[in-house]
Amino acid sequence: MIFKAFSNRDDSVIGPPACPGAGRGQSRAASHLTTEPPRTAQDNGTICCRCRLSSAKTEFNKAPIRGSERGHYSPATGKAKGSGTPARCGAERPGHGGARPARAACLKLKPFNGCVDPGLRLRRELPAADALDTFVETTKLGVVISFILLKKSNSFSIFQDQAEQFFRSGHTNNWAVLVCTSRFWFNYRHVANTLSVYRSVKRLGIPDSHIVLMLADDMACNPRNPKPATVFSHKNMELNVYGDDVEVDYRSYEVTVENFLRVLTGRIPPSTPRSKRLLSDDRSNILIYMTGHGGNGFLKFQDSEEITNVELADAFEQMWQKRRYNELLFIIDTCQGASMYERFYSPNIMALASSQVGEDSLSHQPDLAIGVHLMDRYTFYVLEFLEEIHPASQTNMNDLFQVCPKSLCVSTPGHRTDLFQRDPQNVLITDFFGSVRKVEITTETVSLDSDLAGFESNLPKDELATEPLKYAEQLPVAQIIHQKPKQKDWHPPGGFILGLWALIIMVFFKTYGIKHMKHIF
Amino acid sequence: TESTSPDSNAFVFCVSVVEGLALLDLGVSPYSGAIFHETPLIIYLFHFLIEYAEFVFMITDVLTAVALYLAIQDFNKVVFKKQKFLIELDKYAPDVAELIQTPMEMHYIPLKVALFYLLNPYTVMSCVAKSTCAINNTVIAFFILATIKGSAFLSAVFLALATYQSLYPLTLFAPALLYLLQREFIPIKLKSKSFWLYTMQYTALYLCSLVVIICLSFFLLNSWDFIPSVYGFILSVPDLTPNIGLFWYFFAEMFEHFSLFFICVFQINVFFYTIPLAIKLKEHPVFFMFVQIAVISIFKSYPTVGDIALYMAFLPVWSHLYRFLRNIFILSCVLVVCSLLFPVLWHLWIYAGSANSNFYYAITLAFNIGQILLISDYFYAFLRREYYLTHGLHLTRQDGTEAMLVLK
Repeated sequence: MIFKAFSNRDDSVIGPPACPGAGRGQSRAASHLTTEPPRTAQDNGTICCRCRLSSAKTEFNKAPIRGSERGHYSPATGKAKGSGTPARCGAERPGHGGARPARAACLKLKPFNGCVDPGLRLRRELPAADALDTFVETTKLGVVISFILLKKSNSFSIFQDQAEQFFRSGHTNNWAVLVCTSRFWFNYRHVANTLSVYRSVKRLGIPDSHIVLMLADDMACNPRNPKPATVFSHKNMELNVYGDDVEVDYRSYEVTVENFLRVLTGRIPPSTPRSKRLLSDDRSNILIYMTGHGGNGFLKFQDSEEITNVELADAFEQMWQKRRYNELLFIIDTCQGASMYERFYSPNIMALASSQVGEDSLSHQPDLAIGVHLMDRYTFYVLEFLEEIHPASQTNMNDLFQVCPKSLCVSTPGHRTDLFQRDPQNVLITDFFGSVRKVEITTETVSLDSDLAGFESNLPKDELATEPLKYAEQLPVAQIIHQKPKQKDWHPPGGFILGLWALIIMVFFKTYGIKHMKHIF
Repeated sequence: TESTSPDSNAFVFCVSVVEGLALLDLGVSPYSGAIFHETPLIIYLFHFLIEYAEFVFMITDVLTAVALYLAIQDFNKVVFKKQKFLIELDKYAPDVAELIQTPMEMHYIPLKVALFYLLNPYTVMSCVAKSTCAINNTVIAFFILATIKGSAFLSAVFLALATYQSLYPLTLFAPALLYLLQREFIPIKLKSKSFWLYTMQYTALYLCSLVVIICLSFFLLNSWDFIPSVYGFILSVPDLTPNIGLFWYFFAEMFEHFSLFFICVFQINVFFYTIPLAIKLKEHPVFFMFVQIAVISIFKSYPTVGDIALYMAFLPVWSHLYRFLRNIFILSCVLVVCSLLFPVLWHLWIYAGSANSNFYYAITLAFNIGQILLISDYFYAFLRREYYLTHGLHLTRQDGTEAMLVLK
């Protein structure tokens, strides 16, 4: 019940969280009463639990990037240290106005530590190791909700704001779809582009389970690679982006327009493994990076097919209608890349391209030892830019738009933000490139039995009487076990046999004469 | 690689008949899949013989050999009688004594024919691969036996069966008719009434038996969909799996636009040679039959080595032509080498991946050229012998110098 109440998004009771004391919290709560998901991200402001600046900061600085977690969909990896953004505490953010006694409020709220992981989607499975934390978090959540529901005390508003904070930030999980569409050795740079972005994205916290990496050709193990098992992105072989932990989800001939669109829209055959799926939801920020050869309105896949900007726009619209993203950042590094984002019409999409229509995106520099161009200019400078980003960076999108001016890039990079609800200045790079984890680990436990009892009794009865979910009867197991259908053998029809043998006998007698019949009878 | 090598293919037993019977057991028409292209009588035959498939094919091969033995025995008698008749009528030139066949040398020919068939490596391969071509060979052998024995009725029945199974023995109608007319001493003149009467009778027998067999097949499965599956398949060549024939490569490379035209051309190529051969070889229908069988096995849409085995079995019958064969050494080398190279290049193409279809098709082409050269060589030798028989061995031109016979 607790879960159900919590998950009712359109229930007017729960609004987006706000740092308590900020008067805006209330109004914002009101404004979100009628909104449809996904919420606009104007108010991803502070979360009170972020007030623990010092400890959280040191924690994440020491944190290693979590390795791949294949097979576990765990948006809330409670153990991913350092994926919080403590620096986002309201006092430091411009535009959120009003000093608020954030710290005081945090202290007041200490018993609960109202920081429940906003990424905690209670409907989904959680790793077993986090069960205790989960339970703790959910019970805290339940308490918060119960108080909100019952409206029993003055601190209701605080708790309401507390709970609203879950939904303050627009997104709760990050995904990345990185696509390299070219094959053949001389398109080395496209693979290097994609792997550089992969590297940055992984470094900033998105785990492999949330990255769909599609590489159309294998450069590291290409027989023409003089340095096998490496893909370099900088000359003099300074940076090997191929590493030991690169996980390619779609490789070689699996990178097709159809597979790409199926990944995006989620219309994949049930036999597809999880690593090949984009399991995003309406709280996901997705980064889509595509590179390859393109033209005015299309991008070439694998030398034999193309995806057009119309198809891409329609795919994004399907994603929007299925609520598969909260916000989407689309980056494309091809010739005439701006043509690919011209047709987008779904909300919450921001797009960047490396060149305008009519311009070619150029490659950066060849490496004489390897013999091919290693990177494209735009992605090279983007990579340089991203190398300076760390998970706590406050760098925003406007800085990304400035990357690679015409003097460096020869082509004019373009961007499109009209479909995006937030101001790009308020959009952090780590909103898309990193994986923001709003997790607070606590060692305190709270016992809630009395509160829970009171909470339970107030829920309407019909909510209690939901039938347990189960799978539809797919396999007629009983039938299979007890009742194997009998294999009926085919027999030729009697008329046929009769006719055939009559004919044979007739031929025999015609040949050898009727007189032979006397030998039979 | 017996069943995987393409030498005995599109009608290969293991895959297709088993599949057809399995589909029948599931209650589905066996022709609904794309693999099974056998006639319903084969379904009936193998329905209860499928466990003994190896024995069935061994028995069919033995039956073919026996039929050929008996046929050639009778044929030799006929040849000898005819020869005697012509000598008595003084149709032969005086100095051709060495060209005339003697009973001594003809004594072992039937045995040689049977052995040629049984011990031919192509026959063995075809038997091991359990190709239904063996059954086709049996039916054609019985047809030849019936024709040579002179029974028009049986010959028509077996010819109908052979045509029913694979479409091409239709062309054997002409040599059979010619042989039977010869046997009945009916002169082949267009104005002769008895000629037309006999022809009509034979045609009627043939067509009626064909119709009866087809209708009977209808009653096996209560549907007509065996007709497009069997005959449509043979005529329209949808399956371009590589085999030792000429069709697959062409139609794999061809544009759709032209494929109908070229299918017509290729199919006409099989049936086309009947008329000129009938005109030229009307006195020698059995040789005509031999050449026709060879032409069928070269130009049919899905040839297999079993077809080759059948006409090669006849070669001892014309061993007296040996002195006139010109290319026999090259031919035999080509045929042997190509037969050996078939599996090698198949392996290189499909398994090793270092060759491609062109290699395999080149060997196919060379093999078929070898076969065509073989047939044309025998044809030339036969005609040359006939010429020598009537005109004498030492040919002189009008001015007395020695002349050379050239086949134009």
